[in-house]
Formats: sequence, structure tokens, C-alpha cells
Amino acid sequence: MADRFLPAMILVGVAAAAVGAVVTFAVMRAPAAAPTTSATATPATIEGKPNFSGIWQANNEANWDLQAHAARPAAVTQQGIYPYDYARVPAAPVLALGAAGAVPGSLGVVQGDGEIPYKPEALARKQENAANWIDRDPELKCYLPGLPRAMYMPHPFQITQSTNKIHVAYSFTNTARTIHLDEVDGPPDDAWMGHSVGHWEGDTLVVNVTNFNDRSWFDRAGNYHSAMLKLTERFTKKSPDVIWYEVTIEDPEVYTRPWTIAMPLYRRAEPNMQLLEFRCNEFVEEFMYGSLRKEQLVRRWDGEMMSVEITRKIPEGDRFYEWYSK
Amino acid sequence: MRDRFSKLMMTVAIGTAAVAAISVSTGTSAQAPAEGFVMKTPWGDPDLQGIWTDEASTPLQRSPKYANQEFFTEEQRAELDKARSELLGRDRRVERGTELDVAGAYNAQFVSVKRTGLRTSMIVAPSNGRIPPMTPEAQKTMAADRDFRLALLQSTDTCKNESVACRGGKYDPKPSARRSELSPRYNTARMNRFDNPEDGALPDRCLTLGLPEFGANAGSFRRIVQTPNGVTMFYDVGQGQGWQRNIIMDGRPHLPANIRQWYGDSRGHWEGNTLVIDVTNFSPKTDYQGSRENLHLVERWTRTGPNTVDYQVTIEDPTVWTQAWTAKQEFALQNGKENRIYYEPRCVEGNYGLPGLMRGVRTDERAFAQRKGPDPAKRDIATDFVGVEDDPLQ
Repeated sequence: MADRFLPAMILVGVAAAAVGAVVTFAVMRAPAAAPTTSATATPATIEGKPNFSGIWQANNEANWDLQAHAARPAAVTQQGIYPYDYARVPAAPVLALGAAGAVPGSLGVVQGDGEIPYKPEALARKQENAANWIDRDPELKCYLPGLPRAMYMPHPFQITQSTNKIHVAYSFTNTARTIHLDEVDGPPDDAWMGHSVGHWEGDTLVVNVTNFNDRSWFDRAGNYHSAMLKLTERFTKKSPDVIWYEVTIEDPEVYTRPWTIAMPLYRRAEPNMQLLEFRCNEFVEEFMYGSLRKEQLVRRWDGEMMSVEITRKIPEGDRFYEWYSK
Repeated sequence: MRDRFSKLMMTVAIGTAAVAAISVSTGTSAQAPAEGFVMKTPWGDPDLQGIWTDEASTPLQRSPKYANQEFFTEEQRAELDKARSELLGRDRRVERGTELDVAGAYNAQFVSVKRTGLRTSMIVAPSNGRIPPMTPEAQKTMAADRDFRLALLQSTDTCKNESVACRGGKYDPKPSARRSELSPRYNTARMNRFDNPEDGALPDRCLTLGLPEFGANAGSFRRIVQTPNGVTMFYDVGQGQGWQRNIIMDGRPHLPANIRQWYGDSRGHWEGNTLVIDVTNFSPKTDYQGSRENLHLVERWTRTGPNTVDYQVTIEDPTVWTQAWTAKQEFALQNGKENRIYYEPRCVEGNYGLPGLMRGVRTDERAFAQRKGPDPAKRDIATDFVGVEDDPLQ
């Protein structure tokens, strides 16, 4: 009966039509016993181009806020005893976490004057997003992170570079994208992670990303985009273990001009490093659906300094569905 | 239980264009890999790259009527294809106005089928093409789970009408006291209760089932991308469900035993032209045919021609089966220009189903308490696919 509500309403309308593949290959014939092992070290280049293969991670505060910001006491704050912005105190949702709930400062990753050139009405929406962070940030619901956010979340990602495809696998919620270096048709629908087509400009990998939907954010500060978003990413090796990552963001619906962010991505050089699963949709089940349990499960937490009481709410009527579509 | 989920996945068929699929030629031979066929990456590894799918439909287990016949004859395939094509679009129903009729919406009018494959079963070992018997312990575990699920159904019309979904159980107008119990072990399948999200099937919760992945009826896609010392696979199994595997190729041991993953831990190496992958460290929350954290897979991927990959997987769990068993599939390369794989395992992003189901049951409970509606314990919210046309191949 529940099939009417199958999880993904997005049917894979993909051209999955299994028409016989007509592909030609240069086929080598060799004895079955030919040695097939490649060198154990990761080569610096693949067909003369820098090899970006490996596990990488940004090491910055961009996921908190792309722009320069001072450290603050908590991800969610409320007015302190003084009415000043600089004197706010942690708000209830994060108070029990102490300093672990605080936000580190940053000089920002937005290039030039550091400003995001929002149109006035778009800036108002950004501010509203920030004020409703817990209810609105797709990260908290474990939705796909979109781009460029997936590149600087506090989670590693793995690049597998071949000759005509570069696959990027993100630890966060099994996200993935393939950067197509060869000719490929566009996706059948808009997408959280867009559609990535790359080419080489010298030793720099340039990737144009289009076909986004309008649902992902850039950070926890409410910076957002519309479905008109277009990215131009530039990957340049600074050293064997550092990629300089630059991305120009265009969206005529939201910004008055293109703007650029830039940051280093560092190799996770631990010899035993591997990408582990972070299947957070399971982790956020209580956050998302706890209010719909027959009996409330997470009610109260008792520490030495405080207790935390949870009162669940179910948005009424249409707002119930609106909440899940945010 | 897994079988029911496989059927769930059939719904992906919408995109799989039945008509095109039925005209596909598998264009493959049933023989072992062509001797000496090698295709290599520029750095000298065997080349398995591309988007791959099984374009034919082969039952996992061999029907007893084919006994020890490993391959269909051409005549048998033609007959099966004819019989199966005739099912397409048939709108079989059960008694109108019943819960089960609504639940049978995904009948042959909705799904599509692929052409009958060469083999009578994917299972090639043991030689009878059947999953080996379960250990006595595993049989007990499965029986306890089944009894629990039947108890939750006992006061519904499904049992009253002696539907196949109630087989092994019996109707009792009085709801079972077991409705307030936990399932005997961590739940992975749909049950006739929605007190908590954990009462839902894993796919209801956007927790896709994982390996081994045989593609159910409508098939699934996997893209392989290689780099020196690295192989990645992205699976698109339809309905917004998919996942990735990043296979560790440097010979280091498996993850520590305390790290458990939904898709396990894959360690690969090359044996001649074959990619051999050992998969362990599965989560106790996964379930493949009753096997959970002790599931152990050994996969063998071999390029057998410009457009074919031979896939074999040996499935082992001494706590569940009395012997290991091996299944085999042949994958066909898909057109690389046509972007026929969907990289986004977007599911939770549009999952109105899970909160909708839970909210529906809470609403029913309130209505019952106010004497405005039936006892939710007497409704069947779990059964589906009753009334679906039986595929003569399965």
C-alpha cells in the first residue's frame, strides 16, 4: 500500500532505455598471462596531465560562512543582556555543547572585496535563511550538498581520475559526480550536484557545471542560489599534496555579477586513509521524523549543569509538506 | 524479505523503456571468457571502465522445472519472451475496493520486463542453481521473524480473506498482543505497523539495500572509473537509489571489525585480467536473504569483449547458509555519450512517503480513539504486490 509513497518520487526517467551499445574500442590482444599490475605509487600524471586522484579535504571555515566572519559563541545565538550583535549568547539548541557548539572565525574565501554581490531582494532572503538556519539548511536534513559546497564541507572526498572521466565521490551522504572530459549528453533533469563537463587549460582542469536545481545552499550562513546557477571550477596542483581550487559563481537571478571563491584542498596523507560512509539520512531520522513517532523517544537529557527538554511539533496541514520540501 | 524489495525496485522500469529492452540482443555467448581477450588502460591495468548493465532477465534461483538444465534452449527463451510480453500492460486486480487492490497498483501495467536471459538461474554453484539450505539456527531466526510479521497481520482482511500475504498465519479478529513488541531482530522489512520510522522497510527510509546488487527485474547500472591503483563504482539502482564503492587496491587489510558499513568494505586486486574484490564489514542493519554482518562476498569482474563484462560473486555466511554459493551475470556496455546513469541518490530529499505513512497512522489512531474510524490494528498497511502478475520466468 505504501508504494504510492515510494521514497523517491523522482522516477528515474533517465534514458535508461537499454538500446544496444554501439561503441568502438581499440582492442589489444595479448596473451592471457600478460602482467597486469601497475606501479604501486600513484603517478604524478595521467597521459601527461596532472593526476588529481586521491582523497582530499578542505581545511577551512567556508562551510560555516563563505565570507569573513569573527568567531562566535554558537551556531545559533540569541540576544545577551546587551543589545549588541557582539554580545550575543548561545541559544537553546546548542547551549549544552559549550565550546564545541561555537563557530570558528575566518578571513573568508570570497575573492576581491569579499562581498557576495546579491541583488537587494536576494540579500533579504539570504538574511532570512540565516535567521532560520535550523529549519532551512539542507545540510541539517542530510540533503545532497550541491556544489561548490560539497568541496569544502568538513568531510573528505575522493577523486578517481581516468582519461575521459574523473569521478568524485564525497563521503557526505554518498554524494557523487562524474566530470566528463569527453562528449556526453546532458542530464535528463536538473540536479542537486549539477552536470560537470571538464577540459584542460594547460595543467589546470577547468570544469563547467550547469543544470542545477535551486535547493542547495553554499554554507550554514544561508548563502544560496537559484536554478540559473553556473559554476566554472579551476583545479590546479600547487604541490603533490595541495590543489588550488577556484570557482566562479554566476547566477543572474540572485547576483548582480559573477563572483569567485578560492581555497586550497589538502591531500589526506594518512597511509591508511580511506573514504568511510557518512549515511546521514539515518542520523537525521529522529530530527526529521521524531515528531511522528507513536510515543516521543528523545525527550530529555540530563547533565551536571543543565537538563534539556525536547518538545516536538508537527507543522499543520500544508505546512507539513512544505517543511519536507524546504 | 529481500525479494519483496527487489520487486519494489521494479518500479524503476518506467525509465527502462520496456519496448526497447525487449528488442535488445544480449549478443553474448554463454561460454567462459574468450581466451586471451585483453583491453587495457593506458597505464596497463585491465580496462573495466564504462556504464554496465545486465540487459537480460534471469531468475536468481532456478525453477525446479528446469532441474539441472543450466541454459534455456532457444525455443524455451522464445516461449518465455512471448509469455512475458503478453503480460505487459495487463491490469490484473484483486477484489475492487479492498486495501490489497490499492496496494497492487504496481502491477504489469506499470512495470516492464527485459528479455529472457541465457541461463535458467544466476546461481551457478551449487549446480542445482538454488540457494543452499540455511543452517538450523538461521532457519529459527527467519521463522521467528515471519511469525512476528504474521502476528501483526492477523486481524486484518488480508488474513480474513486468506490472501497469499497471510500464508502461514491465520485470521484472528483480536489484534495480537505482539503489536507492542519489537521485532525479534533489527527490522529491515515492512511490517504492519508504523509506530516508529524503524518499523518501515529500509527503502522506505531511504536506506537502500546494497550488495550484492543483481538489478532486480528492471536492471541497475554501474559506472566504473579507474585510475592507477584505484577503482570506483557508482551504482544507480533506480527510484533515486544509488551508492558508491571506492575499492582499495593497495593490499592493505580490511577495516577494523568495529567499523561496519552499509556497503561493506571492498578490497580489490588483479588476478591476471580479473578484478577480484573481497567485501566484508557489513552493517548488522543490512540484510541480504537473511545474511547481515557476517556476509562475505568475493566478486570477480572480467572483461570478456569490447562490450561485455563477466561478473561472478561468491556469497558466504556460515551463520546463515550451509555452504557458499555463486551467482553470475553478464553485463553489457552502455553508450557512453548518452548520459544514462543518474548520479544522485536523491531519496531523502523527496521522501514524503515516510512522514506521510507515519502521519497517516497517527491520524487513524486519533480517529479510532474518538470512535470515528476503524481500529488501525485491523488495517493492512504493509502488504503490496498482491495481484501483480506472476512473471513466468521467476
